[in-house]
Amino acid sequence: MRGLPTYLLASLVLAGLVYAHGFNSYWMHVTIIAMFYAILAASWTLLSGYAGLYSLGHMAFASIGAYTSALLIQWTGMPTILGMASGVVFCTVVGAWIGWVCLRMTGPYLAIFTLAFSEIVRIVFSTEDEVTQGMAGLHTVFLFHTDSRIPYFYTAIGLLVFSLAVMGFIVHSRWGLFLRSIREEEQAAAASGVRVAYFRILVFAVASGFAALAGVFYGHYLGILTPSLGSLDLMIIVVVMAVIGGMERIPTAVGGAIGIEFLQEYLRAYGEWRLVIFGLVLLFTMRFARNGLLTPLWLQFVRLGEVRRPVSAAAQAAAAAGEVGPQGSGGS
Amino acid sequence: MDYSYLAIQATNGAVIGVIYALVAVGVTLIFSILKIVNFAHGDLYMLGGYTAYYLITLAGFPPLGALVGSMAAVFAFGILIERTMLTPLYSPRTERKDEYGIIVTFGLAFFLRNTALIVFGPFALKPPSFAPGVLRIGALAVTNDRVFVAVVGTLLILALLYFMNRTIWGQALDAVSQSRDSAAIVGINAGRFNSLAYAVGAALAAAAGALIAPIFSLSPDMGILPNINSYVIVILGGMGSVGGSIAAGFLLGEAQALFTAFLPDPTRALSYSNAFGVLVLMIVLMVRPTGLFGRRHVRME
Amino acid sequence: MTDPSRPAIIRGVQIRKHFGGIAATDGVDFDVLEGDLVGLIGPNGSGKTTLINILTGHLAAESGDVFLRDRRMTARPPHEFAAHGVGRTFQLTQLFGRMTVLENMLVPGLTRPHSTWASATEQARRHLAFLNLEHLSGLEAKNLSGGQQKLLELGRALMLDPAVLFLDEPFAGVHPKLREELIKRILQLHESGRTFVVVDHDMESILRIAGRLVVMARGRKIADGPPAAVREDQTVLAAYSGF
Repeated sequence: MRGLPTYLLASLVLAGLVYAHGFNSYWMHVTIIAMFYAILAASWTLLSGYAGLYSLGHMAFASIGAYTSALLIQWTGMPTILGMASGVVFCTVVGAWIGWVCLRMTGPYLAIFTLAFSEIVRIVFSTEDEVTQGMAGLHTVFLFHTDSRIPYFYTAIGLLVFSLAVMGFIVHSRWGLFLRSIREEEQAAAASGVRVAYFRILVFAVASGFAALAGVFYGHYLGILTPSLGSLDLMIIVVVMAVIGGMERIPTAVGGAIGIEFLQEYLRAYGEWRLVIFGLVLLFTMRFARNGLLTPLWLQFVRLGEVRRPVSAAAQAAAAAGEVGPQGSGGS
Repeated sequence: MDYSYLAIQATNGAVIGVIYALVAVGVTLIFSILKIVNFAHGDLYMLGGYTAYYLITLAGFPPLGALVGSMAAVFAFGILIERTMLTPLYSPRTERKDEYGIIVTFGLAFFLRNTALIVFGPFALKPPSFAPGVLRIGALAVTNDRVFVAVVGTLLILALLYFMNRTIWGQALDAVSQSRDSAAIVGINAGRFNSLAYAVGAALAAAAGALIAPIFSLSPDMGILPNINSYVIVILGGMGSVGGSIAAGFLLGEAQALFTAFLPDPTRALSYSNAFGVLVLMIVLMVRPTGLFGRRHVRME
Repeated sequence: MTDPSRPAIIRGVQIRKHFGGIAATDGVDFDVLEGDLVGLIGPNGSGKTTLINILTGHLAAESGDVFLRDRRMTARPPHEFAAHGVGRTFQLTQLFGRMTVLENMLVPGLTRPHSTWASATEQARRHLAFLNLEHLSGLEAKNLSGGQQKLLELGRALMLDPAVLFLDEPFAGVHPKLREELIKRILQLHESGRTFVVVDHDMESILRIAGRLVVMARGRKIADGPPAAVREDQTVLAAYSGF
């Protein structure tokens, strides 16, 4: 049946919406946090897995968005939604600026620069505690004035679906091709007519916008905000989630985020050892299963319902005659 | 202007500078040979400090012996890491080596830091001094520990420079850093030298950690700041230039200390002194994206 | 060397570029006329690749100008050159390794204004068929043999419907049989109206295809004309024997 995977996923989401009342409050919280991480992992993957820009400053954007929203609301009394939107918009602009600044940076230089940016943001938020309350925590306005988590649950699902829809649209459009070509060979992409600078800035803007979206939701859900939102510890966890799931694709990164978050809860009894275990799994995954642990599962899932077409003998023979092999071997 | 305060800060700056130089030299060495930025370097520094501590308290080593022992232990650990996790960097079948290097070393840092948190505990520990007492020069009083750090640190750096420039091993390392293939043709086993480079870098970081521990004490996240500063230093001093990193490391230590001295608000000064290095880094990268002395990675033949 | 019957597609005027004190190109004038098949040759280090990089926008000259049909393109970014019909291949093939053969072709195809997935795919399949690569369209580019990769790079440049194609050492390290195929394709494309500038050290192949030979040495253009005349030129012989 065509599109079976899509139906399955949609049913899952629908089931989540319908049976929300059945969740107990604690697990609903875990699921909400999992979706928060999912948006972060997905947008980080867009930046690093698709465009090849390994930013270690992703959490800084979540933090900037959250603080901007919280402080704007505090100073001007604007409605919460407006504050959140402003936080996202402002952060998108900051992201675009960072993307512009990083235009000529590659690989480790980009990583170091974004790491530096992230640390500066965290230190500033932490030090200027007259404004931000620093490590004591900034109290934010709650998004919903109710004790129930259910509206937050629905909102989180909505935001996640929206984020994935937008990112999925980008990835499957020609923009997705252009981003991947930039990742593969930037010079050749330019020679093929791709506006490299434009797309690098764009992808930074989009990714940071989504990070900010996650951040503003987080801030107005928990009701309290500290500079640790932008810390390296959280950044590493997002990286761990995306890499273990599979940083080549958005669905696997999302799977990694949700999986790791739930695993964190299940393994609560192990306390600090959880993080050590995740670290080991990350190293193992990079060393032996570079594409991520969920990628083989996802590839199978996507093919559900397809009729297997046998590869024609002619195509096989042609492939062999062309001496297909790694570069350098074979015919030349 | 309180000159004695300034003098104290300048002296502190010199001591910190030597430590930064030791750490940065390791990062530079690893970058030139393995072509990756070792994001776990700060945690090797941390490991060095803790190893020395436990050698003293559990095995009864004298402080100097513990320093040597710690260097040896982390050296061995460095070889282990390189052999298990970093060998894909040399295989032509590995794609996106940059990405691999970043994520693996980042993940290693994560693993080491959290393991340290559990095994060593989150509370600060302080090993005994290398040389108790205080040295007085005129109006200036410097603890002997700091003097020890400066002297031993400088000796280690000089030893490394000698090793790199005057011994056959060092020159082989230089050859490998320039071209693995050419080095192989001349009979140099590049694989062994990668392990050597990583291990030496790690051992130097460990030495820095062990030296500084009696002064500033140990904590599992003590490596974060030197880590970030070492990137500042290699980018300022030139990725791949050992001499440049030493000079830049020393300068950064001094500059940071003097910056703290001149900042009017003391509470802010302390927090922002941590950000000093990163701020410099950001500005430098914005102006010269390949660092002050790096070559532009132009892909023209 | 302007021929009023054939307009110049690309004009490089007094191009100067230094790398750390050495003049890679030292006041080079280079016009590519429509319908040309230029062989650009010269000893190593003569500045051929630098010149190409400047004429395709990948490098900015210190002084001098580049004109694309009357449009001043000096220091414009490479994608603008591509958008105006300048295609190129690279000395070391720079394919999008983890993307499929078809996707490699679609990237330039979809950068063109008014292109749709359908039109770009159809165009891609046509070029792939011409290059005998169509049966490999679903394969990741990194899995192609070296020769197939060179052909794919040519195909990728063709997707821009280029007025002029710069080929940077297309014959380097290529199997003789594959070389024949490449030469055949280049001549076929030339016959159907495309202009070529080919840089290579493979004199045999260059002399087989080039209608015009431009020789560079030490950053200067030392000869420019029909192959027969250039081969007799004393300065050219001196340049080659001097190395």
